[in-house]
Parts: sequence; structure tokens; C-alpha cells
Amino acid sequence: MEVPPEMLDALAGWFAQTLSPDAAARRAAEQSLSSAASSPGFALALLALASSPRHDLQARLAASVYFKNELRRRWPKPSPDSPDDASDNNLPATDCAIVKTHILNLLLTAPPLIQSQLSEALAAAAAADFPAKWDSLLPSIVASLGTALSTGDVPAANSLLAAAASLFARFRNAFDTNTLRIDLKYCLEGFAAPLLEVFLSTSRRLHSSAANPLELRPVFDCLRLCSEIFHSLNSVDLPEFFEDHMREWMTEFRAFLTTSYPPPVEADGAPDALRAAVCDNLQLYMEKYEEEFRGYLKEFVEAVWGLLMAPTVSPSRGQLAVTAIRFLTTVAESVHHALFGTPDAMKQICDSVVVPNLRLRDEDEESFEVNWVEYVRRDAEGSDTDTLRRAACRLLRGLAANYREQVAALVSAQVQQMLAAYAADRANNWKEKDAAIYLVIALMQKPGATGGGTPVVDMESFFASVIVPELQAADWQSEPMLKATVLRFLKEFKDQIPKATALALLPSVTRFLTHESNVVHSYAAIFIENLLITKDVVQVPGASVVTRTSRYVAADISSFAQQIIQSLSTALNYPDSYENPYLMKCLMRVLGIATIAGQIVHEITARLVGILMEVCNNPKNPDFNHYLFESLAAVIGKAGEQDPALVPLFEASLFPVLQRILVEDISEFWPYAFQIFAQLVNLSQPPLSQNYMQLFGVLLSNATWDRPPCVPALVRLLRAFLRKIPNELNQEGRLPNILVIFRSLVSRASTEDSAFYMLNTLVQNVGFDTMSPHIGEIWSTLFTRLQTRQAVKFVNSLVVLMSLVSVKYGPGVLVSSVDTVQPSLFTTILQRFWIPNLKLIKGSLEIKLTTVASTKLLCESAVLLDAAAAQTWGKLLDSIVALFSRTDQDGAQEQNDGADAADSQRTSGYSVSFVRLQYAGKSEDDLLKEVNDPKQFLVTSLASLSAQSPGRFGPVIEQHVDPANKGALLQLCAAYNANIV
Amino acid sequence: MADGNNPAPPPAASPLQSHRYAIKSSAHNTAASRRREQAVAIGKERREALMRAKRVCRTPLSGSNESAIEDGDMVIDDEKEGLETRTAQAVQELKSSLSSQGKGAQKKKIEALRALRRLLSQSEVPPIEVAIKAGAVPLLVQFLSFGSSDEQLLETAWCLTNIAAGQPEETKTLLPALPLLIAHLGEKSSTLVAEQCAWAVGNVAGEGSDLRSTLLAQGALLPLARLMLSNKGSTARTAAWALSNLIKGPDPKAVNELIKIEGVLNAIIRDLEKADEELATEVAWVVVYLSALSEKAISLIVRSHVPQLLIARLLASENLQLLIPVLRGLGNLVAGDGYMVDSVLIVGHSITDQALSSLIKCLKSDNRVLRKEASWALSNIAAGSFEHKKLIFTSEATPLLIHLLTSAQFDIRKEAAYTLGNLCVVSAGSTDPPNIITEHLASIINGGALPGFVNLVRSADIESARLGLQFLELVMRGYPNGQGPALVERQDGIDAMERFQFHENEAMRNMANGLVDKYFGEDYGLE
Repeated sequence: MEVPPEMLDALAGWFAQTLSPDAAARRAAEQSLSSAASSPGFALALLALASSPRHDLQARLAASVYFKNELRRRWPKPSPDSPDDASDNNLPATDCAIVKTHILNLLLTAPPLIQSQLSEALAAAAAADFPAKWDSLLPSIVASLGTALSTGDVPAANSLLAAAASLFARFRNAFDTNTLRIDLKYCLEGFAAPLLEVFLSTSRRLHSSAANPLELRPVFDCLRLCSEIFHSLNSVDLPEFFEDHMREWMTEFRAFLTTSYPPPVEADGAPDALRAAVCDNLQLYMEKYEEEFRGYLKEFVEAVWGLLMAPTVSPSRGQLAVTAIRFLTTVAESVHHALFGTPDAMKQICDSVVVPNLRLRDEDEESFEVNWVEYVRRDAEGSDTDTLRRAACRLLRGLAANYREQVAALVSAQVQQMLAAYAADRANNWKEKDAAIYLVIALMQKPGATGGGTPVVDMESFFASVIVPELQAADWQSEPMLKATVLRFLKEFKDQIPKATALALLPSVTRFLTHESNVVHSYAAIFIENLLITKDVVQVPGASVVTRTSRYVAADISSFAQQIIQSLSTALNYPDSYENPYLMKCLMRVLGIATIAGQIVHEITARLVGILMEVCNNPKNPDFNHYLFESLAAVIGKAGEQDPALVPLFEASLFPVLQRILVEDISEFWPYAFQIFAQLVNLSQPPLSQNYMQLFGVLLSNATWDRPPCVPALVRLLRAFLRKIPNELNQEGRLPNILVIFRSLVSRASTEDSAFYMLNTLVQNVGFDTMSPHIGEIWSTLFTRLQTRQAVKFVNSLVVLMSLVSVKYGPGVLVSSVDTVQPSLFTTILQRFWIPNLKLIKGSLEIKLTTVASTKLLCESAVLLDAAAAQTWGKLLDSIVALFSRTDQDGAQEQNDGADAADSQRTSGYSVSFVRLQYAGKSEDDLLKEVNDPKQFLVTSLASLSAQSPGRFGPVIEQHVDPANKGALLQLCAAYNANIV
Repeated sequence: MADGNNPAPPPAASPLQSHRYAIKSSAHNTAASRRREQAVAIGKERREALMRAKRVCRTPLSGSNESAIEDGDMVIDDEKEGLETRTAQAVQELKSSLSSQGKGAQKKKIEALRALRRLLSQSEVPPIEVAIKAGAVPLLVQFLSFGSSDEQLLETAWCLTNIAAGQPEETKTLLPALPLLIAHLGEKSSTLVAEQCAWAVGNVAGEGSDLRSTLLAQGALLPLARLMLSNKGSTARTAAWALSNLIKGPDPKAVNELIKIEGVLNAIIRDLEKADEELATEVAWVVVYLSALSEKAISLIVRSHVPQLLIARLLASENLQLLIPVLRGLGNLVAGDGYMVDSVLIVGHSITDQALSSLIKCLKSDNRVLRKEASWALSNIAAGSFEHKKLIFTSEATPLLIHLLTSAQFDIRKEAAYTLGNLCVVSAGSTDPPNIITEHLASIINGGALPGFVNLVRSADIESARLGLQFLELVMRGYPNGQGPALVERQDGIDAMERFQFHENEAMRNMANGLVDKYFGEDYGLE
């Protein structure tokens, strides 16, 4: 790998400049770098600079970061979908080959900071190429590992193991496929034996060496890396090599768990990190390979148990304890649960493992204070990282699965003991009460659950004597962690709290919204929000169905609403809660349910608009912003409907910020802004103000519609306009303008949905007199496109649109307008596209629309009633019946989902996607309210048609309808008591 | 949301390792079946098979006229050293017997062979290592030469059989003997000689895939298959056992050839019909490997009388040695060819009831292999028609499976979960998510299965976790009255799913987050 020194110097100069305080110099350097990036050899130059000892370390580090990013972005990836579009920007194959040859060696000689960058770069390249296209990598790692081992260079071995660990990490979480197994087999053949050798020899080194923590740290790291690789290589299946050498691995594992290293070593944390990796492996073996592992089980249970009871100075004992307890939980839930089944064992688990870990620890208190978001995520939401107390409770639940009564008795006694300790010394023992409540929550039997819970206390008396006093306490601001746990209990128990009790407690809980602790006011908000959506199951008399109704309605909470809203508004001003999503979600819920009027409407609108202005500066919290818009939609919707006089107020406060969103192109807010606009248009009285008409102009811009996430919102807005001011469409060339946009959208597959959406909205809302001058042109655009695009999706959309035209303007208009493009074109379209595609229509509204339209064609259209069209008539009927039969088989579930298939694609962590505002109203409405049941409509229409010419349609059906569908048709006739004569 | 918000489809699995998988929410592969053998083996060869892979021959083959002589002729288990000395001497004598000429030479040879064979067959720990070190194998190869007497061949093959039963390296020393051992399997040999050679070859084949390939390349398959057609029970048994070792794969070439050999299937049927349980056991193992590795073989077997015979054996026998291969073979057939469920196990026919009863019997067994294999077979039957699902659902199997799901070992839990999942859905064609059989789903949940599925979601095994998630999806979508989400929530299902919030497996992450969003997201709680 030869790179000219002057090139390295130039690069180093640029990188130095990128750190310059002078913005112009910085930009120039960045510009030089990005233009150099496209030339071949650039990545090699970066790598060379990163590993060039004669250059400045800062520049080398910057080069290594740049190199890593280049590899991540531009390393050729195998992409089955788009093989061609990847190639342009990819690194040249020659560069890739050179990188693969050199990167490992350069990584090994680099200083630590650069090494970690190169290690990630290696992982990025390996993700695509290893092992199939990089067969030298594993042998090189193994060879270098051998050298490191023989020279006793543990840090070098660790670099290599870290690289190997990143290569093998894929085996942990991937689905078991043959491709994966082929890769795994290759890795096992090359690496299983060397790994064991490194592991054993390093372990010997550990046992023999003197206790110098500085010297031992890399040794522990090495063993931990080996253990982590062990996990990866054993994740898919138990490999033969590992089964054959299980004794060797397990002997060392056990030694790590049972050996106490001198305090300075333990204090370093490295031994516990190794032990945690070991416990993860034990957990894996216990779960997946219990049969092979069972011989070791007893000794490991004792070892892990001993570990949990031993006092320690290690700072990372908490994470170790979580993995250790998780292992014990797996044992408790396994067929070997009897290991814990004796009264003594169970008491010991409870006293020595569970209870000590239940109590809040110093780091919990610290996290509660300084990192409340993380605290809530781990404590209340459940996350991928267990807390110690949650792990402890899960162990109890695991035990309770087999020893329910025993666990209940133990825990019950424990809870009483903790409460007694609290009663004896409240100020010092509040953590005891906190632990007791936590324990009760963890083992709570949830109503209707079929297992898992263990009743340990009488819940009603616990609620009354332990929980309520905390809520009503005069010193409600003290012991915030205890208060948070109390609020969490309320949330878990909300279904069982009688409505009157809950409402009576609401003012007390509302106080906590203004508690200065972020966790406490968040928990109060979470509880109120959850309480308000409590549902009751109502049995319908005499039927097997039940309905679910909201327990709390406007009348219940309106008297509390003002206080809650004001408290939330206050809390949103507290440090670190400016964008607290829990507070905003609660606000949304209260505004959506309660009825509010008067001054509070003005206040909260102004407050929300102010917050929106603020987040426009830097939208960073999608959840918070979503609830913010929902809250706005809820205020506008509920208050605006009650009191139309408020609408000008809303307009006045909202227009500036909504316009800012459009003008400054804050694209993630566009879909929201259009939905709010649509809501406002719906509420206003024509004539609309000039502001709205300007907005209408935006609607007529091609660029607006070119953003798919906005389209459903735009459609809402367009529809709102068309309903309010249908005649405006005819002015200033607006309709032709819209059709220009339509033509552009329909010409690309990625935006054709938007085109149909727009057109459907037009047809639904605009009379034929307005549309008629343009309809021929619309058809000819669509049919031209159809010549090159016959994808099911496109044809289905076309059938839906034609159905809509037929239903809205009449079948005669449909046929004649299509035939103006070309004589008899309608029949051709019907035969080639409509009839075959009708069977494929999805979505309940779409199915209803197309079947009703088809029925009307059958019974009302002269083209089809012509004797010469008998075959077409029969085939169309066949398709209708086939579609009905398919939807019957699909069952009810799809019908529920189909209606809003097109416009709701909620993705979390959205860049820009359409997110429907629930409180901004329903989006779709059924055009065909007069038709209740399309099946009934079909058979009764056919019956009356056939009654006009008896004997005519029977033979047509006989000849052209598929026997199965004919049978289905007859069944329908019978079901609706109609006859085709 | 017909397509949009469903859990992202997992990547299409290879047909060789997927279940008949109606529960899968994805569009793909609804009727594909999961074959037993992974096409790429990572783990050890299955233990049940390993225990029987090599066998020491202790007593003469039945029908041999030596049985009388052997009585009272036991090798006294003396000190190991003494045994070793005697073995080395025996090899020396064998060597010298080779060079002796004239009258009595043949007798001397036989006596030397017999002495060595006795040491190798009648000591508690056969002194194989010493015999090899003393150079026994090349000598024995010379004793196998064509034209030798049957008696000589028999003793020689017996010696080789027991050397081959040793440690891997010891077995490998037989390489030079293989061509002649195979040659003596043929029709020109006496039955006894052929049978003893088959035993030796079987031990070699049991060692591993390398030696299997060598044997196959040297043409061992055809003569062994012909030997299995023998009317003599012990010969057919030994040949079947040796064959089952030879065709283990992983290369399916041998089984594909075996099934093409005329008379093989008929011999299997004939032997399964006989009362002899030992013979049936070995033949059942042949069926296991045929059905594990060859589409062609499965297709022929399911259309023969074999399924009926396997089911009858499974129902009637209590012999674990027999039940394991019979059940596994049956499981492979059910998984391997839709014909088995669609056209053999027709609901309403007595064979189907027998099959179900026999599987239920195995589910109740104390033996974990039987329980696992039975759950697996049931999961594939449960992927069949609605009638199959109904039959299983209304049988005793459902409560048993729910019990296994919540209390058995990991791999059995997983199989039970597949079965229960399959009972709850019917395929809706290739492009739609499966339809839910509400009655089954509700009853299985009410029977207490939900905690078991939530536990699967927590599993370290990614396949199990996926299965758990897919079942939770069914519950939330299809449990009556929209109560599914609440049930899942009460069973700590949200907590379990949130484990995947930032998971590295993209499909799992999307599936879990999609479900949490869809059922517990913004519109949850609104009308």
C-alpha cells in the first residue's frame, strides 16, 4: 500500500484545518476532503495517514474516524433489491482489496484510540464480506493470536479477540438459517480450538500471577472477551467442539465465580465483568442445552449463590448480580426447580438474594436525581437492561410458578416486616416501605391473568392503609422516591380502584404533577393518563359479545380538568421537563376527554402555541411533538365545536406558527400542520379569510404533493376546502392546476398513490358539472399510463376510481366519458382490467365501493345489458361473487384494518412520516351510506332486474359463472330471500 | 392495515429447516415443512444414534456352528498387563501362522485367528490398541484374501469387527481392510461371512462422515442393501444396522441411491411386519435416515404401507429402543411430504385416530426424546387442514401440550408452542396473514398457555422468541372482544416485548415495536 508522502501531508493539513476555530478555513478543508473522497485510493490514503507514525496524532485520529465512516457508508454491500444503484458511490473494488489485506496489521500497531476506530472500520467491512469474500481474515487473526500468545502480549491478544468478537457477534441474534450455519461452521473450524487455547493459557496466567491490578486488568479483559466469543459461537447450536471440551470451559468458569481476588483487583471491576459474561453463558447453556449442562448445574447454582451473598468492593457488582439472578431464575423455572424447592432454600433465596437487592441503592438515588429519563425508562417502562430489583422480583415470580403458596407466605411475612420497620422509624426506614410496595407490585395478581401473580397481601386494605396515606400526606414533597413508587402502584392498580375512590383521590394526585422531582411529576402524569383511558367490559345481555366502554367520561373529570391542565402547564416549565412526553401525553388525554371552556381555553392554547414555537427551533423529541400536536387538535376540536366563536381566536394564535412551519420548511411538522389547517377549515364559515386562500395556493404546488408523508394530510385539507368552498375550484385556474399535479404524480410508481388519493377526493367532493370538462383528459392520462404500468396496485386503484365515478356520477357518465377517449374503450377496460382485478381489491370500504359499482353496472348500464355482452355480464358477476367469497374467508380481522390501510404508517423514531392525529377527527367516510350490505344489494338488484325479463339471466349465469361462485351466489340468494328468475 | 403494520416478515427459511408453519404471520412458506436434520450440522451427531453407532461382537453369529465350541471357553479377565502380553503373543502367532506351510498350516492359521478373536471378543475391555500396535490389521487383511475358507474369513472379519468398535483412531486403522470387507459382503460369500463383514463395515461407518464417504466410494451400499433383503432375520438386522450407519449423511447421495435399489422398500415393509422388535428397530432407523435426507424416498414411503406399520408399532410397543426410531421416522414423514397429512392421515379414518393416540401416548411418556419427537410430529399435523386442527384440539393432546409449554425442557416447550400456535390459525393463501380460529385460540389461552408464550418471548433463543411474538400477535389480533391486548399486558407481555426495543435483529425489533405501537400505541384506549 503505497501512498505518496505529499498526499499524506495534504490530507493531514486538511484534517488539522477541520479543527480550526476559523469557520471559513474549516469549511474549505471539509470541501477539499469531500471532493477528494470521490477519487480512487482516497480510503487507502486515509488508512495510511491513520497509521503513519510521523504525523500528528489528532490528524491521524481524525483520519481514522473519516476512514471508518467512509467504510460504513461506501463499502459495497450485497443488496438483492438494487444491485445497480449501489455501485456509483461504492469504494472501488481495488481499494477494498487493499484495505482487506492491510487493515488487521495496521490495527494491531495503532495507538489505542485509533485502534478502536480501525476496529469498527474492520467490522463494517466484515459485515459485508466476512467470511465468504474475505477468507484471509480469520486465518490472519488466528496466526497473530498465536504470536501474541507465545510472546505473552496480552494487550495484542485482546485487540485480536475484540476484532473476532465483533465478527462473531452476528451469531447471537440472527435467525437460524443454513447460510448462517455455513458461516458459523467456518468460524468454528477456524477458531474454536485457538479460542480454547488462549482461554486456558490466559487463565493459567491469572492463577499464577501476582496480584498487581494494573497487570491483571488486561488478563481479565482477555478472559472476558473469550467468554463473550464463547457466547456468540454457542448461540445457534451447541457445537461439537464445545460439547467435547465442556469440562475445560466449565472448570475455569467455576473458578472465576468462586475465587475471590484481592480487594484492589476486585475494586477494579474487571473480575465482575468477567463473571457477568460467565453468568450469561451459564444462562444460555441452562436454557438451550440443559441436557448436556445438567451435570454442572448443581455446582454452578452454588457458585452463583455464593457470589450473590458475598460482600464485595466491586463497582460493577450490580450488573453482575442482574445476570446472576437471571441465571437462578432460569433454573427456578426449569425442570430442575426442585434445587430451590426446600423451605430452607427458599427462605435463603428470599432473605439473602431477593430482599437485599430490592432495596434502593445509592446509584438508584443518583439516577433518580440526575438522569430521570433513564430512571423512568428502566423502572416503569421495562427495557432491555433489567434493574436489580426487577431481576430479584422475577426470580420470586419464577419460584412462585412452582411453589406458589410457599412464596406467598414468605413474601407476605417480608412485606409485614418491612412495613413494621417503617412504622418504627419513618424518617430512616422509608426505603423499607418503598421495597415493600415494590414487592407487592411485582407479585400483584392482575385481574384476568391466568397465572404469574401471587397474592401476598389483601390488596384493598393495603391500598387503604399503605398507599392512600402517602397520597394525602401533608408532607407530600418529602421522600420523592417513595412517592414515585406509590404512584406506580396506583397505575398498576388502576382497574381495581373504584371510580368514586379514584375521583376522590384525583386532587391529591394532581398535587404531585407540580412535585419538583421529574420522576414524581412524570409518574403522576402517567397515572392520570392511564386512569382516563380505563375501560370497563360490559356484557351484552343474551349474547356472547362484550363491549368495552370508557370508565371516565367528560362529566366525571371536567371539574378537575382546570387544575390538572394548570398543573401540567406549570410542570412543563420545570428544568429538564420542557419536553417531557409524559406530561404532554397526559395533557393531550385530559384535553381530549374533558369539556373545558372560558379562560382556560385561551390560556392553554397560548401555552401550547408558545411551546410549539419553541420546539420549532429544534424539533428533537418526536413523541413530545406528537402529543403536542394532538393536544392542539384536541383543544381545537372539542372547544371549537362547542363554541364557534373561538375559531377566530385559534386562527389568530395558530397561523403565525403554522406559517412558520411552512415557510421555514420544518418538514417533520408538515403533516401535522396540514391536519391542523384542515381542522380549522372545517370549523370556519365561508367566505374564508385571505390566509386560507394563500394556503390553498400551497395546496396547488407540485412540490407539496411530492412528499408522500404529507399526502394524507393534504388530502384532508383539500377535502376540507372542497367542502367549504367548492366553487373556488373553478376560479383562477385552480382545477387545471390540480390536474397538472395529478399528471406528474401519477407518472411515477412511488407517488401514484397520492395521485389517486387526490383524484378520489376531487370526485367525492366536486359535482360532475365542474369535473366534466376535464374528465376525458383524466381518463386519457390514466389509460396512457396503464399501457406501461399494469401492476396490481395501479390497476386496483384505477378500478376504485372508476367505481367512485360510477357511484357518484352514475354508470352512464362513467361509460360515456371513457368512450370519448376512444369508442368502445370502456368494454375493453372492463374485460381486461376491471373484471380480473375486482377479485383482488382489498379494504372494506374499497370492496364495498367496487362491488356496489359493479352491481350497478350489471343492472343499470346499457352497455352490459346488451344481449351481445352476455359473456361480459356473466364474468363481471363471477368476479363480484368471487370477491365476496374471498372476503368471507379473510375473516373479520382484515376488514377492520383495511379501511385505513393507505394513510396510516406510524413508524417510531420518524424522520418524516405521516402520523395521524387521533384528535383531529376521522379521515374516511363512507360514500355509500344508503347501501348497508353490498351482498344484499347485489342479490336484490339482480332479483329485480331478472324479474323484468324472466328467464334471461339464468342461462347466462349457468354458462359464464364459475360453478363454485354460482353455488355461493345461490347461497346468497337464499340468505337474503331473493330469487333470480 | 392489511399489510403495512403487520410484523415484518422474517426472512424465508430454507425448506430444510422450517416447520410446517401456519402460524407464521408472513406471507411466505406457509406450507413448508421442517425436516429433522439441519442441512448444516453444528452440533454432535445425535446421542441416541451415537450410543448404537459401534458394537462389539461378543458371541458368534446365530447359525454358526461354533456356538457349541465356545461354551466354557471364556477368557478369564486377568490383569490388564497379562491380557496385553497375551494379545501381543497372539498377533505374533498369527504372523508366524501365515508363513507356515504344508499340512496343518490351515489349522494353525485358524487356531491363531481364533485365539486373537477370543481375546478381542471375550475380554471386558477388548485389547484393541495392543493388537493394532502389534500389527494385527495388515495381517488380518492378508487373511481376507479371496479363496480363503469361510471359517477363516469369519474369524478374520470378527476380529476386524471388534477392532473397528474401538476409539476413532483405532477404527481408522481398518482403512486397508475395507475393499476386501466390502468384497465379501457380496452374493458370492456365505451368509455368515457376509453378515460378519457387514458388522465390521457398520462399525467403520459409525465412526463418522469421512469413513462413510470412503465406504460409499468403495461401493459398500449396494451389497449391504442386498444383504438387508435376506430372509435370515439376524442377517437382515445386521445389514439394516450397518446401512443405517452408512447412510447418515450429511450427504444425501447415499439415501437417494438406496431408495432406488430394487426390493429395498419391500424388505422394509416385510421386516416392519414381523414380530421381531430388534429387526424392526434397525429397519426403523433406516427409515429415519431415508426420510430425513431424501425427498424421493419420502415420496415413495408415504405412498407405501410403511406409515400404517410405523403407527401400529408406535401404538403397540412399549420398547423405547423401537419407539424412538419409529416415532422419529413418522415425524420425518409428516414433515417431509404434504401427502402424509393430506392423504394418509385423513380425519375420520382410523389410522388418523391411531396416529393421534400413539402420539398422545408419547407425549405422556417420561422419556424426553419421545415427548419432543411427538410434539414435533403433532406440530406438523396441526399445520394441516382445519379438520386436523379440530381433531387435535378436541383431543387430550391440547392440555398436555399446554402443560409441556409451561413446564418442560426448552426444546420440548418450543415444539409444544409450534403445535399450539398451529392449532390457532389456518393459512389464508400465499399473500395474506393467516386467519385465526378464534375458538381454539380463546380456549388455549383460557387453558393457561399465555404465560408460556410470554416466556418464549424472553428466551435467549431467537427462534423461540419469534414464535412467542407471533403468538402474541395472534392473541392481540384475534382474541374475542378485542381483549387480547389487555390479556397480553396483564401477563407482562409488553415488558417482554420491550426487550426488543433496541435489539440487533432488525426483523425482531420491527416486529416487537410494531406490535407494541399497534396495540399499545396512540390509539390504544381511544374508541
